Amino acid sequence: MSAALLRMPLFALGVLVAPAFVVSWIYGARARLDVAEMDPVEQEVAIAAASDEGYCSANLKKVLRRVLQSCGLLSSGDVRGCQPLEVRNVATLHGDDFNALFLPLQDRAGILQFDSADAELDADDRQLLSDVFTDQRGASYFFVVARSSPEGTEAFNRQLSEKRGKAVLEHLRATFPDPDLDKEVGLLWLGEEYAQLQEDFCAWNRSSEECSVTDLNRSAFVAWIDCRL
Amino acid sequence: MRPRIALLLFLLGTLGGIVFCAISAGDFAQHLDRQVHSIHCSILPGGAADITGSSGCHVALMSPYASFFDGWVWGGIPVALPGLALFVFLAYRGVGMWLTGTQHNRAAIALLIVMSGIAALTSVVMGGIALFALETLCKTCIGIYLSSFLCLGAALALLVGAGRDRYEDLAEIDEDDAVTMPFAAPHPVLHILVGFAESAVFVALPLLVYVLFAPDHGRFAGACGTLDKPDDPYGVHVPIGQQTAGVDAIEVFDPLCPACAGFERRLVSSGLAARLKRKAVMFPLDNACNWMISSALHPGACTVSEAVLCAGDQADAVVHWAFENQEAVRAASADDPGAAKKMVVAAFPGLARCVGSADVRARLNRSLRWTVRNKLQVLTPQLYVNGVKLCDEDTDLGLNFALPRLLNRETL
Repeated sequence: MSAALLRMPLFALGVLVAPAFVVSWIYGARARLDVAEMDPVEQEVAIAAASDEGYCSANLKKVLRRVLQSCGLLSSGDVRGCQPLEVRNVATLHGDDFNALFLPLQDRAGILQFDSADAELDADDRQLLSDVFTDQRGASYFFVVARSSPEGTEAFNRQLSEKRGKAVLEHLRATFPDPDLDKEVGLLWLGEEYAQLQEDFCAWNRSSEECSVTDLNRSAFVAWIDCRL
Repeated sequence: MRPRIALLLFLLGTLGGIVFCAISAGDFAQHLDRQVHSIHCSILPGGAADITGSSGCHVALMSPYASFFDGWVWGGIPVALPGLALFVFLAYRGVGMWLTGTQHNRAAIALLIVMSGIAALTSVVMGGIALFALETLCKTCIGIYLSSFLCLGAALALLVGAGRDRYEDLAEIDEDDAVTMPFAAPHPVLHILVGFAESAVFVALPLLVYVLFAPDHGRFAGACGTLDKPDDPYGVHVPIGQQTAGVDAIEVFDPLCPACAGFERRLVSSGLAARLKRKAVMFPLDNACNWMISSALHPGACTVSEAVLCAGDQADAVVHWAFENQEAVRAASADDPGAAKKMVVAAFPGLARCVGSADVRARLNRSLRWTVRNKLQVLTPQLYVNGVKLCDEDTDLGLNFALPRLLNRETL
């Protein structure tokens, strides 16, 4: 075969092989890129968000929202606290139903038990409070529900309950310098007239060995709530 | 070996080189669409593609050694592309010799030996990089290496065969011979020079086409979002790298995430780390502390993240250690949840009291909440330059192209 006849077409053919590959790859990529830009597929990557556990029923969220709005947390971003009458009104629930909302929180909650007519946190209370509070995970709200047992007058018990709730809040503020703290803590004090804890709660994580209905209600119930509102 | 058989083997080698280089360069080029793709990884051409991202081919392809000129073209030009062009050139020469029966021409053979030698030498260098720098083996690359050596061996065999040929001396080539040898110029030296010129055209043309036609990715710089709240009210930003100069940047990463280690390697090897004043935000993809994922993608990452937070000014050392020992920590932690702490404490005894403490766990939680506050994707690594996100698609292959553009945009 003549060299001259063979050389040029073979060269021309050979020299185009690699560019042909390149053109095919690049135009394929360009086409896919254009399609992706014109019709972006919904991102499958999750977005970082607070927890929203299965127990966050519509009813629980409704009560949480009402309590948090009425107690100042959602509207002002500050802890104001809810008094017993307010809680009853905003929750629009019977006391037992109100308590039932918190039953799914057994693994996340602690019951800080106070001495009679006392609002001081002892070492066991502080330890339990720290344990519960530092296990925030993705929770958005920390509820402190202070109570008092029925001995004494209703007014005294309301004051005592309020002191207990505020003692918890002050301890948290002093121990955990977190700029979000006041936006996270929902404070309620219930006195003796609403949502008293029953003996079922003896099985919960508590700061004292003693467990009667009276002991249970000289308390502050603390728990992170893994719900998004 | 008979010259015809040697030439056949040579052509077989070029065919293997073309196929494996085309697979490798094609796998690389498909990423120009900024999407995630599987990568072929088989010693048999056409073998199944790897979708896990854990194969040696994936490591090699995503490494800084897989391309060049990556500051000019997004991702750079794949090293397999000039390889492909070289094998096509060798095939062109070999086919020509076959068709004209000139497999005995020493000048033509010498050219094949030189060019095959270049391919074989490149294979040795790239194989060494894969083995010693990347500590992996890429099956597709091995196909290229074997093809190179087959070409070189066959070309040498051709030379030996040519010794028994009627042309005992190249100077004896007469005018008629030159006419019957399509790839031999009248003078052997000229023949080789022409061959080099041809090979230069073969190699340069596809590179030029790649550079000219590759999509313009510059338009994506700065187009992937910003941080809503880059400030650090929780005190969870950890300084990493040099802090004396550069543009403020926030890097969100998991110390046990392989992509994060790869990102760090690219950042440092490119010299771009020196242009950033980086603060790290720990985002472990481990459900021991991170409620946003349902299983531990990187077991032990929470503990190692705590160690980074505990280390303060020494965080660099912990991060470096974590990147170097990722696989071992992940494997040990998958079997024993306490293994990561033991390994961290063995490497950094001074952190023993801090790792696992309530304080640092709360701090890590705040770090995660910082990502919630900024509504970040549950994805690592993420880099924000002056609060502007480097696109996720640009954190590996496109880093050297995209980050300088983002930096220039932010320093204007």
